Amino acid sequence: MVSDMVQSAVADAVFHALSNPTRRKVLEQLSVGPATVSELAEPFDMQLPSFVQHLSVLEQSRLVRSKKRGRVRTYEIAPERFKVVEDWLAARRQLWEARLDRFDQYVKQLKEKESES
Amino acid sequence: MSTQFTINPKLDFAIERFIDAPTRLVWEALTKPEHLKEWYMPKAWGRVTRAEMDVRPGGILRVDIAVGDGQEVPNLGCILEVIPMERLVWTSMLFPDYRPAVFDDIPITAIMTMETVGTGTRYIFTALHRDEADLEKNKASGFYQGTEIAVDQLVAHVIAMK
Repeated sequence: MVSDMVQSAVADAVFHALSNPTRRKVLEQLSVGPATVSELAEPFDMQLPSFVQHLSVLEQSRLVRSKKRGRVRTYEIAPERFKVVEDWLAARRQLWEARLDRFDQYVKQLKEKESES
Repeated sequence: MSTQFTINPKLDFAIERFIDAPTRLVWEALTKPEHLKEWYMPKAWGRVTRAEMDVRPGGILRVDIAVGDGQEVPNLGCILEVIPMERLVWTSMLFPDYRPAVFDDIPITAIMTMETVGTGTRYIFTALHRDEADLEKNKASGFYQGTEIAVDQLVAHVIAMK
């Protein structure tokens, strides 16, 4: 029960982090390799403090992690958290595939019945 | 029950208003996301796109705003203290559930106090900063001015709720 709630909170944070185009672009860029805050901010026409808030939401969802060396903070992808999305989607797909399989069988049965009569 | 805190004018700013409405309504306007959306962002500057508030110590405070050109900017913090109709405290130094935050931004701790005076409410918004430089930056960036406009919008919104 508690673990269900924790899982749901984790999924909330991850899906919320993914719900914004700026944050998705950052994840796309980080998929290529680690980058500093100023490198990440460069393509966006946005004040740095505002941009940093987006990084903060990503960091909170733990889709990314960061390290600070001196004054420079570097971000990188944290691949483990992407599994939360993958697993959720995979579970939905499994359910629908099973449902379609059953529907398929049922239609076959109907067809057989019809040809018998 | 409530611990006093002292503000340091060199590090903090406070905005005080008298609201001609019961404290119950002021509390509601401060803690319900549907109300936050109405007053949190200066209307001439943009709008709130998403507000989320879990009003308990450790609960989430999330207010995403959209500025003039439509760019969305999130604000994320952790609620620290909840005394209904008396005081609400949150900080951007922490992520929700007290998780130590990572940020390169200017953090604040916000303290909202209210007190019944006659049939109205005395409301004070205080923002605590780490140091004088942070306070100066927040004044220069428009954060202070925006907060002042938001407080006035809160006053107008609460009056309209009556």
